[in-house]
Order: sequence, then C-alpha cells, then structure tokens
Amino acid sequence: MSSIIIASDSPETGRRIADETAKFLGYTYMDPEDVLSAVATKRNLDKDKLKKVLDTLPSSFGRTSRVWRQWLAFIQEATLGRLMEDQMVCHGLAAHLYVMGVSHILKVRIITSEMERLQILASQRDISADKAKKIMKRMEKQRHQWCLQAFQMDETDPSRYDLVISLNQITAKEAVKTIAGVIKYKKFKPMTYSIKCLEDLELESRVRASIIKDHPEASVTARDKTITVKVKTLKRERKKKTAAIKELVGGIDGVDYVEVHFINDIVRQAAESFR
Amino acid sequence: MTGADLDNTDGSGSQRILVGRYRQMDAVNKAREALLGRREFSLRLQISLGFFLVFLIAVAIGTALLVTIYQIENKLIFLEIVNDYVIEIQQARRFEKNFFLYGTNLSDALENVYTAKDILERNANELIKIQGKDVQDTILTNISHYEEILERLASLEEAKDKTLDYLIQKKEMELGLRDQGQKMISYAQDMMASERDSVTRVILKARSIHIFSFICLLIFMALNAYLLGSQILGHIRRFADHSKRIAMGDFTPIMPSRRFRNEFTDLALAINYMMQELESRETVLIQSHKMRAVGTLTAGIAHELNNPLNNITLTAHMLLEDFDNLSVDERKEMMSDVVSEADRAKDIIRNLLDFARESSSQMETLDLEKLLKDTIHLASNQIKLTRMKIRFQTVGHLCHIHGDGQQLRQVFLNLILNAIDASPNEGEIQILLLPADEPGYAAVKVIDFGSGIPDHVLGSIFDPFFTTKSKGKGTGLGLSVSQGIIAKHGGRIQVSSTEGKGTTFTVILPVTPIAMKIDNE
Amino acid sequence: MPEKLKVLVLDDEPIVGKRLKPALSKIGCEVEVFEEPKSALTRIEEKEFDIVVTDIRMDEIDGMEVLDYVAKRWPRTKVVMITGYAMMALAREAMEKGAFDFIAKPFKPDDLRRVIAKAAKALGRPIDFDTDSK
Repeated sequence: MSSIIIASDSPETGRRIADETAKFLGYTYMDPEDVLSAVATKRNLDKDKLKKVLDTLPSSFGRTSRVWRQWLAFIQEATLGRLMEDQMVCHGLAAHLYVMGVSHILKVRIITSEMERLQILASQRDISADKAKKIMKRMEKQRHQWCLQAFQMDETDPSRYDLVISLNQITAKEAVKTIAGVIKYKKFKPMTYSIKCLEDLELESRVRASIIKDHPEASVTARDKTITVKVKTLKRERKKKTAAIKELVGGIDGVDYVEVHFINDIVRQAAESFR
Repeated sequence: MTGADLDNTDGSGSQRILVGRYRQMDAVNKAREALLGRREFSLRLQISLGFFLVFLIAVAIGTALLVTIYQIENKLIFLEIVNDYVIEIQQARRFEKNFFLYGTNLSDALENVYTAKDILERNANELIKIQGKDVQDTILTNISHYEEILERLASLEEAKDKTLDYLIQKKEMELGLRDQGQKMISYAQDMMASERDSVTRVILKARSIHIFSFICLLIFMALNAYLLGSQILGHIRRFADHSKRIAMGDFTPIMPSRRFRNEFTDLALAINYMMQELESRETVLIQSHKMRAVGTLTAGIAHELNNPLNNITLTAHMLLEDFDNLSVDERKEMMSDVVSEADRAKDIIRNLLDFARESSSQMETLDLEKLLKDTIHLASNQIKLTRMKIRFQTVGHLCHIHGDGQQLRQVFLNLILNAIDASPNEGEIQILLLPADEPGYAAVKVIDFGSGIPDHVLGSIFDPFFTTKSKGKGTGLGLSVSQGIIAKHGGRIQVSSTEGKGTTFTVILPVTPIAMKIDNE
Repeated sequence: MPEKLKVLVLDDEPIVGKRLKPALSKIGCEVEVFEEPKSALTRIEEKEFDIVVTDIRMDEIDGMEVLDYVAKRWPRTKVVMITGYAMMALAREAMEKGAFDFIAKPFKPDDLRRVIAKAAKALGRPIDFDTDSK
C-alpha cells in the first residue's frame, strides 16, 4: 500500500516518530543503518565514511566533491529501491528531497521545539546551554547548505510536505496517530500512475548511480523504461560518449531504450579553441 | 525537444534579435547621414553672429557720431575764423568811417585789414577745405581790393595835396571803399549765416541718426533674441516630444527638421544612438520574455502530446497483437491512424516551436480575430492543463490592424496566461473582440473571474519588476513589456478589477480600414 | 461460462475507443464505447456497468464529474481514470473521489488489461489475465 517519508529538524525525534508510526500501522521501518550497510557492502565502501555524506558538506567531507556526489547517488539508489517495497516508513536518508510527485507517498515534516533540541545536544556532547546554542545555529546553517548543494532545495519550506506537525503542542503519540489517520485517506492509495512514477524515479537513480563515476555531470531522466541522458560534451566526442553511455546503461535491468542528448560544452570548446 | 532543437531555437532567437538590431542600426545610420548632411549653422555661430552685428551697428553709430562731431567742429572753427575776420573788417571800417568823418589816420584801418588778411592766409587751408577755393578767392579778391583802395587813399592823404581832384578822388574812393567794405561784410555774414544753418542742420541730422540707429539696434536685438529663443525653445519642445514618444516605446530615429545643423543635431545623434541601444535591449527583453511564456507552454504541450502518443501506442500494440487476424483494410486503417496521430503530435510541437523561433518580426496587416484564435490555440494546452474553459466572442465585423503579429501574439498570450494564473481551477476566461468606444479603434478584452487585483496594487501593475507572484515564478516584466509593445502599435492597455469578482484587461489598438493596404515599411 | 464483465469506455479521442474495444473484448469484457460524455452519462444512468474507463479532460463534462456521478449512481462500479494530464494533485483528487485506479497516457493495452483484471478480482469475478506479468 502507501509509504511514508518523515523529515525532522531533530534526527532523534524524527527517527522515534518514524519507528513508532511503523509499529502503529504495522508498516516496515526502513532503518537507515540497514540501507547504508547494504550500500557499503555492495559498493565496497567504509560505512562510517558513507554515513558522513548525509551530514557533511563536500568541502569538509575529506574526499573530492565528485566522490561525495557519487556516494550520495548510491544512497539515493538504495533508498528508492527499498521504497519500491510496500508500506515503508522512511527517515534519515534525505528521501524527502528526491522523492517527488509520487502520490502514494505521504511526506511529513516534524518540527520540534528549539529548547528540546538544545537539551538533547547539550546532554549528548556534555556542553553548556550557551555553547549548545551556538553549535546548533552552525549546524542549522550547515544543514541548509547541504540541502542546497545536494538537491538545490530548501527543506524547511512547508509547501514541500503534505503534512507538517509541530511537536510544540502535539505529543509524539498524537503525531503518530495523526500520520496514521492521514495515510488512510484514499488519495494516498497507490495506483498504476503513482507506482509508475516511483518506478521511473527508482530506475533513474539506478542509471545515475551506474554512470556517475564516468559521467559525473550527466543528468538522467527515466520515463516508462526509456532513459534520457543529457551530457555536456564537445562535438567531436559525441559518438564516443554515446557509445560509452549506451554500453553502460543498456545492460541495466528495466531499461528498454537509451537516448543520449548533448549540451554543448561551451567552456571547454572555448578553452580548446585558444590552444 | 532534443538538444539540437533547443540550440536551433536559441540560434534563431538571437538571429531575430540581430535582424532587429541591424534594421534599427540601418535606420539610425540613415538618420545620422541625414542629420550630418545638413549645412552646419551652429547656435554658437548664430549667437556670435548676432553679437557681431550688434557690434557693427554700434561701431557704425559711433562712427557716424564721430563724423558729425568732426563736421560740427570744423564748422565751428570756420565760424570762428570768419567771425575774427568779420571783426577785423568791421574794425577797419570803423577806422575808415572815423577817417572820413573826423580825419583820423588810416593806418589803424590798414592794420586791421592786414590782420584780417593774415587771418585769411593763416587759415587758408582750413577755409579752402571747408568752403572751397572759389569762396576763398572771392574773399581774398574782395579784401585785396579793399586794401588796395585803402592804400591808395592813404597815399593820397600823404600827398596833402588838397585839390579838387583830391576831393573828387577821395569821394570816389570813399564810395568804392564803402561799397567794397559793405560787400565784404555782407559776404562774410552771409557765409556765417549759411554756416550756422548748416551746423544746425548737421546737429539735427546727427540727432536723427542717433535716434534712428538706436531704434534699429533695438529692433535688431529684439528680432535676434526672438529668433534665437524661438529656435532653442522649438528644439527643446521637439526633444520633449521625442522623449515622450520614446517613453511610449516608439524608437523611430529622430530625423532632421531644419535646414541647418546645430548643437541640437549632436543631441539628436546622441539620442538616436541611445534609442538604438534601448531598442536592442528591449528586443532582448521581449525575446527573453517570450521564452518564458514558451517555457510555461511546454508543460501544457508535454501533456497534450500524451493524447496522440497514447493513440499511437494503443494502435501499434493492437496491430502487433492482432496482425494475423486482421484484414488488410483494417491494418491499413490502423496504420493511417498512426500516421495521422504522428502528424497531430508534430503539429502540437510545431505550433509552439513556430512561436518560439519565428525569426523576423515585421509590421504587416493582420486579421485581429485570426491572431486571437491562433493565440488561444497556442495557450489551449495550458488551458486544458488547468481544466479551464475559454470563451472567445467577436462583436462587430472583421478587424484588421497594422502591426507586428509576433509581438502582439506575445502580448495576448501573456494576458491569457496571467488570466489562467489568476483564475481558480476549472474557472472560465472570456476573450472579447469588439469595436472600442472611440472610432477607429478595436478593443480586446481578456476577462478572468479570479480574486481580482486590490486597488492599492492596481496602479503599479504596469511598473517594471512589479509582481504579485511568488519569487521565481514571475519576473514582473510581463505587463510592462506588453505595454511597451502595445504603445508601439499606437494603442494602450487598460485594466479594471473588482476584488473578489475578477479582472478585465483591455487592449485598445488602432484599426486599419481593410481597403487601405498600408505597406509603409 | 461466467457472465462477461460489462465495461464502458469514455474518451473524446475516437482512436482510444476503437482500439480498446477489441483489446478488452479479448479478455472477456463486453465493451461499450462513447466519445460524448453526455451520452455516456445517459447510458450509465440506465445500465450498471462493472467497470467505467474514462478520460479526465474532455470538453463539456469533466471526467471527474463522470466519476462523481458513477460513484453516486452505482457505488459498486469500479472507475478507472485515464488522462494525458497526469499530475500528482489530479491523481490524488481522483483517488479521494473513489476512483479504482488512475493511469497516465500513454499506456499500453496490457497496462489497462492488468488494471481491469485487478478490478475484476476486487469485484469478486476474476478473469483470466495474469496480473503480475509486466
């Protein structure tokens, strides 16, 4: 049936609500740890390092931003793959930023009180309230930057969600009940169209993950098993690139047809013409 | 759209801009040539010339003054000389009278005559200059004559021979002397009188010359000031008109209006150049705004394409499935369905592409009704997307206008898209084409039944960068660009809105009588 | 032989009806095709169909109105929406109004057949079509 994506300004609270909602509804809680482990195993990466992708900016990631983008694409692929299963509750994988237009997925944002977040932070790191406040401001700024750099989006914009619950007045338990009530609305029932939308997204992420190493700048769209890859390239490299991409993508499960479009690489063209 | 298509669209877009730019440059160059082709007669020259003439007149007046003063001076000198002379002669005559009456000696009289003669001789040059040689000679003869008689008388007296003959001679001489003396004095007095008259005349003449020349100077200066002022004011008025026209979006270069070139010609050249820049910038603005509208329309197109695509998919699949069981005619029918649906898809895209890439914009006679239908067709997918209804009605007969079809389509498209944005889903938009209140104009009304525009906002909706849409959704240039385009066509856009009931945009455009085919490009 | 599934197909695109009629007949449906929403509604008024397949965006009457009408007149009837203007908001609206499924155009005949089979199953009258094959 339907699935739920929960985002929150407090990771701990978000995870708790997600977990409780899953239990309440009898859905599956999609543990980020499991997803990350699966990615780490599949791609042969260090799991702790991989985890850092989700809360570190490429500038302080320790590897190139190219690698950062690659790993992020791997996480995206795995998350969307899991969302294909029914009745999932997803949290902590930034899914609210890349799962778009799927009508049977309910997107919820949980807002917690600043006081509570400060307390959690202060007790976690064993620091004074003042210092915690400063750190929290910095973290918020960093988080905002992260969303912009990863998906060019502002996650605090309430219009991105179907439901925004503030835990200032509503308790966690009530929030869970509310989510459970809303997901029962008929409009969140999956249908041929919404399943297709999700399939397209999932295929897109799989294709992107498989070509991102060789073509980091490529943008991928999937529609009905047809893949469109847009790459920046020079005219003389077109043939070679098309063949390479078709080779890479053609073998992917679920791909019927590949189309490669080119955007003229004006900068490189100019640079080479001066040689 | 594939990458190649996008490239093309962009290419022809910039080409269009270039074409527009070149045409404008051409016009500007022509105006430039015409402006520079005039003979130069600068305001500076005009002003200097005016001042120079005033100076000349002043010099002339001064010279005339000097000449008359000099003349008067001369006359006065002459008068003085003649006066001295007359006094001496009168003295001589007094002694002469005494001699005859009391027998006093004549030497005193002779002395005076000598002095008088001396005066004449001393001032001979001046006298000749003033009176001429004849007068001088006459005076000299007269005085010599007198002197001679006087001398003879004196010598006669010396002889002391008081005979009858002496008496007769003396009497004779006395008569001769009297006659001669009288002659001399009256002659000199006549001369003096005539000279005095001439001095008065000269003074009178000098006065009238002064008065006359001052009046002349006054008239000349007034005329000069009027000409200069009216010319400058005329120029300023002309440029004020130009700037108003430019503000309305009419970028026709300024052409010379006078026969001569002056500093305002330089200003006209500068303004023409400015207009060229403005126009090219506006062309870019209009084009980029068009591309925004195209962007909006692609969403509708993408969805509308799904219908023919679906028909093709279904037909192709069924053909594949039932190929063996179908008759040849049925197969043919299905294939022709596929072909016609593919054509339909092509049409859907081509409409938009044509609008996006149509390269040259030109003024031509347009059927307003057809233009509106085309525009509505262009927006129809967007209308379907939002599940709106659009109603188009024409009142009155066919309407032809002279204008740039591309840009007008853009204006109406912009108004329709705005109306769609303003309307609630499943709302209705009405488009009316009717004769405007004033004769010779047609009105196009685009009516929506949305929430309306609040009064305090209504005044500024045509301002550039004013937008009520959320950030990133509108540039706030749509209506401003539209107004510029309509103003260029000699029309205007009006808006009326009732909050909660809806908004009506009215575009008023001048109509071309059908019989008259205007082609004055 | 069980009674055939009664299906009404409404789309203002004539080709859709023309192709769907044989496609659905093959899996044991009795198909009536309409291009005019009005005549379709008249027909629905007098006959209870098992499944109604309708386009959403049509002139005159909207597919959503057809859905409302069917839901009121024959609550048991399953309504399948097909539209070229598929968007999340529209899809959710249709589902909320009680649509059985929502398919975006373009779709393949098998896509619709699968949905019809699912609906038949939901109606308790399964037909012979493999719903899981893709």
